[in-house]
Amino acid sequence: MPTEDSSMSGISRRSFLKTTAAGVAFAGSSLGFAGLGFAQGTTLRAYGVTTAQMDDPSLITKATGIKLEFTPTDADIGVFMRDALANNIGETHDIMIFDGGTQDILGPRGFYAEIDEKNPALELWDRTPDFWKKSDISVFKGKSYGVPILGNCDAFAYFPDAIGANPNGLDQISYSVLYEDDRTRGRVALDRVFSQSLACMANFLKVNGRLKIEDPANLTPEQAKAVVDYAVERKKAGTFRTVHNSFEEQMQLIQNREVDVLECWEPAVKEAEKTMKNKAPVYSYAVEGGKKWGHGAYIPKQALDRGNGDAIYKVLNYFLGGEFRAYQARDRSYAGPNMNLGVEYAEKAGWSADQIEALRATDKKISRKMANPNAFWAKPTAPNADAMEQEWQRFLSA
Amino acid sequence: MTAALAISSSPRRRWRLPGTATGWFTGWFLVIWIGVVVLPLLIISAFSFFSMRQYQIVYIPTLDTWNSLVETGRWVVVLRTIRFAVSVTFLEILVAFPFALWLAKGCRSDAVRAGVITLLTIPFFIDASSRIIVWRSILGTNGVINNLLVGSGIIDKPLTWLLYSDFSVSFGMFGSYFPTAVFPIFLTLSLIDDDLIKASSDLGGSRLQTLRFVILPLAMPGIVGGIVFTFVPLMAAWIEPQLLGGSQVNLLGQSIQSALTNLNYPIAAALSTVVIAVLVLMLAMLVVSLRGRFKISSLFQSLDS
Repeated sequence: MPTEDSSMSGISRRSFLKTTAAGVAFAGSSLGFAGLGFAQGTTLRAYGVTTAQMDDPSLITKATGIKLEFTPTDADIGVFMRDALANNIGETHDIMIFDGGTQDILGPRGFYAEIDEKNPALELWDRTPDFWKKSDISVFKGKSYGVPILGNCDAFAYFPDAIGANPNGLDQISYSVLYEDDRTRGRVALDRVFSQSLACMANFLKVNGRLKIEDPANLTPEQAKAVVDYAVERKKAGTFRTVHNSFEEQMQLIQNREVDVLECWEPAVKEAEKTMKNKAPVYSYAVEGGKKWGHGAYIPKQALDRGNGDAIYKVLNYFLGGEFRAYQARDRSYAGPNMNLGVEYAEKAGWSADQIEALRATDKKISRKMANPNAFWAKPTAPNADAMEQEWQRFLSA
Repeated sequence: MTAALAISSSPRRRWRLPGTATGWFTGWFLVIWIGVVVLPLLIISAFSFFSMRQYQIVYIPTLDTWNSLVETGRWVVVLRTIRFAVSVTFLEILVAFPFALWLAKGCRSDAVRAGVITLLTIPFFIDASSRIIVWRSILGTNGVINNLLVGSGIIDKPLTWLLYSDFSVSFGMFGSYFPTAVFPIFLTLSLIDDDLIKASSDLGGSRLQTLRFVILPLAMPGIVGGIVFTFVPLMAAWIEPQLLGGSQVNLLGQSIQSALTNLNYPIAAALSTVVIAVLVLMLAMLVVSLRGRFKISSLFQSLDS
């Protein structure tokens, strides 16, 4: 795993490769292979979470002329950081897509390049709202390292009949239905990922004035201990049925109605609606807000050294545009910057009125969730992540 | 020749190159084994004495990781894992022995025997997660068993302990590791000469006496093999507790996985060291408990006898 020093040596190695590559390119062009550089520029390789992947990648090629080959990874921060830090994935990939926050570590250490906000290909940057482009998805210490491409505010799903809520799903529901409600005792599922479950529980305790917590996503060891003490107490009271580990498990818990309330991703509810129709659970507007998160697209420094900058910025601009926005909202219920461009795209592309209305509804829904002052931004690379993980194990072991 | 090839002239101990093919093979095996297995294990253990800061290892020796195993309750997970591994192994052997005895000596049809062995093997053609996750639809509160029990009026409300409990994890483990318990016992029982069993009967031995004084001692290599091949993977099992245990059963495999997810190599290394230490300790206890009654080296003798 590289240290500051070793990353410096990594740059030296890259410099060597760059010099060598430049020499080879010069020799190649001298010999008449002038098209080689162009061919390399039109095929880019992205590495990142699958949620950012287009179901039909040919749409990107049609819109930009660039073929984007996608190497998927899951939402496992450890795997992503290992690939970035130890496996130097920037040597082979041009764009990295992951939860906002990785730039806090990979930016200052020289793995990510700063975003050139004035790059001519990034023409939608200026009209992108600050809410997104100045958010924790993109910025660390005043420097922009990423282009925000999608986001949501995660909370939980519930079956309205189990808690006597309005089935239209517009009620604001407190997280207490997960932790302290006798109606759901023993029929609650939490996420095994501590940056979700522990942070949301901390936020619940913070918002309700039970613990003094500055940032639920980055708990100090003492705060983490206090939150886990509460979690253990609730576990011993028989509140939780299970903790789940994957999207498939979320789906199974919903489809089998194994629980009444669960922390999950919104696409799980969207999938359930396809088969369960009006018996599907509702994704909540939480009183305590929930966890705001977003995926950013980042540029590994080596990709610029390879001369792929123009093509990369063209793809990043596509991520800010209407087509990407419309498909992400339609297929996954995710919003992102410039949602109005998504609606414009859908209208021009002849989508049905229902589909266009659904895009507007997605925009409205996510704007409402994001606007909740109690919501907090996720920090997958929180400085206190080790202490939080250790405490979370105490909950799991109890 | 061996004297001529001596590579050390120490008066006390003389290191010599092997003089036979077996000697050479053993030497090479040891070199490769140490390089491929022992050395990585030592490196893993060494990592447990470092710490992590912001996804980077701090190469300053410390006992912080080991202290944190106690403070965060991960030691409880170690004890729980041992409890599961021991109890499930015990149950496996308890059921596997009579089953293997029937298969080896009781079942007179080769076709039935082949069929049973095939049936034991077939489920393992599919991936473990897919095989285990099916049980959630069967054992869940709205699963097949609860629907049958409630539908037939035997119970009023679904049994919640069928899933996400010690029971469901033990059940899943039992199914997963049954063949590894059965096959070694079946093999050694198959090698017992039927004339020995007949002789015991001819000499007036009851069935129980034949079982105790003839079959069991001869089957001991298979039983020990079954224990080893079941207990060792059970110590690292994580699919069954993950899919059938929910938040109620957290075992070592999951704890290691969680540490790796957070790129916390020292914790994962410490837990892996604990697993290895527990395995060595338990196997040593097994050897000591069998001393005087059974030679571990005889595990492999019955195959060439």
